[in-house]
Amino acid sequence: MSDEPFFTRKDRRQFLKGLGGFALAIPFLPSLVAREASAQMMPPPNRKRFAQLCTAHGGLWHSNMFPPASALTEQMPFKGRTARRGDLRLSAQGTRTGVSPIVSAAADRFTPALVAKMNIVAGLDIPFYIAHNTGAHLGNYARNDGNGADGMMVQSQPRPTIDQIMAWSPEFYASTVRRRVMIVGNRLTYFWSNPMTRMGTIQQVDGTVDSLELFDQVFGPIMTGPARRPVVDRVLENYRRLRNSTARLSTDDRRRLDEHMQGLSELERRLSATVSCGMISRPTRGSLPVIRTMDYGRNPTSQAQAYQLYNDVVALAFACGASRLAVIYADPTFSTFAGDWHQDIAHKAHLPGMVEQRTTLAAHQHFFSEIFLDLARKLDAITDADGTVLDQTLLVWSQESGNHTHENQSMPLVTFGGAGGALRTGSYIDYRETSREIGSRFQGTPEPRHPGLSWNQWLANALEVMGIPRAQWEEPGGGYGLPRVGTDYRAHYPAAATSGLSDPLAYLRR
Amino acid sequence: MKLDDCSALLGDTLVSIVTQRRPLLRLSLAALSCLLSSALPSCTGRIADRPGELLADRAAPEDDATPSGDGAPPDARVPVTPAFRCDPAQTPLELPLRRLGQTQYINALDHAVRAIDGALADETRTAIAPIIDRYPQDQLGASIDGKHGGFSSADQTVQQQHIDLSYDVGVRVGEVLTRDAARIGRVFGACATDGNAANDAQCIDSFLDGFASRALRRPLAAEDRAFYRNAIGGRVAAADLADLVALVLTAPQFLYHVEHGAAVADRPTRFVLDPWELAARLSFHFWQSPPDEALREAARSGALATDAGFAAQVQRLFDDPRTERSLDRFFREYLWLDTLPALDSRVGDAVFDAFRGDVTPTGALRAAMIDDVLASARSTVRRGAPFAALLDDRRSYARDATLARIYRTPAWSGAGEAPMFTEPQRAGLLTRAAFLSTGTSNTRPIIKGVFIRMGLLCDPIPAPPNNAAATPIPMLEMRTTRQVVEALTEADGTPCAGCHSSLINPLGFASENFDALGRARSVQRFFDASGRVVGEAPVNTRSTPLVSGSDPRPTDDAVALSRMLVESNRLQACFARQYFRFTFGRLERPDGSDDCALSRIHDSALAGRPLAEVLRVVAMDPAFRSRSFQ
Repeated sequence: MSDEPFFTRKDRRQFLKGLGGFALAIPFLPSLVAREASAQMMPPPNRKRFAQLCTAHGGLWHSNMFPPASALTEQMPFKGRTARRGDLRLSAQGTRTGVSPIVSAAADRFTPALVAKMNIVAGLDIPFYIAHNTGAHLGNYARNDGNGADGMMVQSQPRPTIDQIMAWSPEFYASTVRRRVMIVGNRLTYFWSNPMTRMGTIQQVDGTVDSLELFDQVFGPIMTGPARRPVVDRVLENYRRLRNSTARLSTDDRRRLDEHMQGLSELERRLSATVSCGMISRPTRGSLPVIRTMDYGRNPTSQAQAYQLYNDVVALAFACGASRLAVIYADPTFSTFAGDWHQDIAHKAHLPGMVEQRTTLAAHQHFFSEIFLDLARKLDAITDADGTVLDQTLLVWSQESGNHTHENQSMPLVTFGGAGGALRTGSYIDYRETSREIGSRFQGTPEPRHPGLSWNQWLANALEVMGIPRAQWEEPGGGYGLPRVGTDYRAHYPAAATSGLSDPLAYLRR
Repeated sequence: MKLDDCSALLGDTLVSIVTQRRPLLRLSLAALSCLLSSALPSCTGRIADRPGELLADRAAPEDDATPSGDGAPPDARVPVTPAFRCDPAQTPLELPLRRLGQTQYINALDHAVRAIDGALADETRTAIAPIIDRYPQDQLGASIDGKHGGFSSADQTVQQQHIDLSYDVGVRVGEVLTRDAARIGRVFGACATDGNAANDAQCIDSFLDGFASRALRRPLAAEDRAFYRNAIGGRVAAADLADLVALVLTAPQFLYHVEHGAAVADRPTRFVLDPWELAARLSFHFWQSPPDEALREAARSGALATDAGFAAQVQRLFDDPRTERSLDRFFREYLWLDTLPALDSRVGDAVFDAFRGDVTPTGALRAAMIDDVLASARSTVRRGAPFAALLDDRRSYARDATLARIYRTPAWSGAGEAPMFTEPQRAGLLTRAAFLSTGTSNTRPIIKGVFIRMGLLCDPIPAPPNNAAATPIPMLEMRTTRQVVEALTEADGTPCAGCHSSLINPLGFASENFDALGRARSVQRFFDASGRVVGEAPVNTRSTPLVSGSDPRPTDDAVALSRMLVESNRLQACFARQYFRFTFGRLERPDGSDDCALSRIHDSALAGRPLAEVLRVVAMDPAFRSRSFQ
């Protein structure tokens, strides 16, 4: 690939070269960014940022995903379980260094300083049979494939996702931003059709796979032509005219007009928002040409390049405060495997001694080192107040399943950043009750499933550390997300583990 | 792609089992998923006429006939029960304020500008292409289980992107149409550039009567004129006129199907569409585009409000080539054609290469397979054949040489009479390659069965349970796909058997005399991991598909199954439902309030009327020409 910077800035070339995606072998240069960014970027009062990268399929063995059990050196009773914790420590693995086979990277990129800013958490579960889904990552269990009766049942009970709850909370965005949430991919993030009133239907919020579009959403003037006074106020009036007319309309017709007007208000708000990084110009290259290459589906290098371009935009937006939320669906295979990943790899990854687990291990290792770590490093290279943007961020990697695809026990959670000091970091935490096993559906697998705590509690913790008042999201019984324990799972989840779900998670919170 | 776990997964498991001669299968999750498709109490093999309703749940004793078990074929022409019970007094709850679909929106933009100047429309299209590329694609909705089938017309979500991008488009088109004085003169008239303020109001009105009236699909009322005129301060400077264009192209009457209707004397909950509203409904239904001048004239003159005038326009619109794109969309979505997997992802794999032989699947082959089905539908319409002809059409519409080789026919030129299939076992939809191909070396009888059961018969398949036990099933070598599927999903005592043995598998087994590229076969070959042929076994297509609850007849193959589907009348009832969903963008109401519209389509199809007539009949229904305002 060319070394041409993707962001070109006429007078501060060096800074922008650091944001150059493929040039990130030369890491972000914190001193340059700090010197230049601190003058240009005026973060809003709430400086916290949240980004979540969500990967598909799952099925990573615990022994590949997590540090060894021997790393857990502390324990305490917690919600009917035994919570265990230990410090994350890097160990060399050939030319790589890591805390587990998957959470590893080249030694010069995955440093002790970064490890001190991360957590790896095991034992967060969805205690019913949801199987394949894209909604659980962020709390909308209704977005599942209906693989079982439980999943089908919850499809009628959607929830807004936590990114959107943050996005529409006045506590999160006190001032205007150009884009509330940067979304890459689809079927991850959901909110009310009328976001302001939180009424209507809960529907998907679309994302993009074009990094240039993502950039435009955050930074671009919407139009490229000469500046003109926006006409959006008059567009709004046109809708209001119909909405309030005496012409025959149904109640729902008017509700739809209200929703459209809400969207126009959002557009008007964005058009008036200013971005403090005023000298950034549009990248010269985007992800679409990469995605459209013939072998993209089986080229992990290209796949990483595309996602690094998204990371560039996210990092820049976070640096400027132009947006402080990002959700990225990382659904390529990150592998050279040419067939049907879902059928041939994910669904066979539980088989002992088979190539499928090794294939999925390598793919996720690639994802961690080239994409997730890439974003963490970019955010850590930008000075913010007395630390870095990463310190103000909660950066999350979540997976669709636990150690077996279709199963959602111990969905791996990897975080970077301290969310502005709200999180304790540098920990490997395990909430699984390893003395208890949930019968495995997977004959021959070397790994059992152990019950842990509820993913709903994690979602609640994420919202709380980002400063969102409980009144804006808490379920009647606590926590966030549809509270449900499947019939088949009840024996494994005592009431303590599924109640008080807004409580701070042990070892995770300060 | 995550295909249905009760179908695709098993099929792929079988690839490794059957074709690579694994002596012992440890049940993969693919197989597990099939087990999950289990013997719920509802999986009795007794089929109802209404989705979600089982015969056992219904009171009518004549509906509850059970198979005689003696093998004697009943009179299959006797329907189980009237599929729909029309009560004209009922008024269905309709979707509120439907927005234009993505295609409709793009066509509406083009239509508005093209009426000024074709070259200008082309320039505009180019100018807005980067924005249009980002306009949200409509997702499938209105499927009976939320994940199989469905229609894009049912996507009524309004995303922030719809609002942002339609605004961007409006502003951009405004810029294009006011690029310079010459352009302004062409679009708005000389009055916009003559420097004479005295005629500015007239100039604006002229634009509102032309461009805006076409875009908003009706003449503007006085208050509308006043709004637009005042919105730009009555000025005709380039920026003002650009704003005017943007205002029109972001108006609710442009982006939505705004309908107010008119009261009907004896129907307090029902309101007939006025001629302009009706014209828009007609043209967007048949063309995915706004009304043309002839249709606007029919609305203007009032002819459209008469039965004869309306019928004439329905006929005219249907006969127009533009209807084809709408029908293509319907059949593409109705027949799940986009679920045809990529056919070339396994090229290079030893087993797949051995299986495919000298047929090299490409992206073009996949497209050709889909077009073959669509061409069959088009041909059925054009030659005046009934709907059922889709199920026994023996013409090959393969224009692609590879597909023609699969069909063993000459390639079709795309014009004139298409060549006929010569293989006796190939006739109709269920034997076309798009229905048979899997992208692997193995067939997927479960997927085929699910499609027929849900897509062609509109029967729901219950959700699988969560707790199916995973028991390794020893698989012997040299078993056909059917044998493996039977062993995994139909064994006594397994939770799978209830649904698989009755609702799903028999329908899929009927076409096992075609391989995973759609080639006719009598035996299934087995390969080792290197692609070496290690054996073969005859395929078995005989099954008892339980097309309706009262029909225990077996079938010999897909041709016989197709005949049985047609004779059951349930195929036509399901078609009525699917076309209704496509037309109205929603599922039919469970209270039966849509039954009048459904029965009209169904009766027409059942009577063997030409498919073209069946497709037109929906527009003649009162439901199409009116709406409710609850």
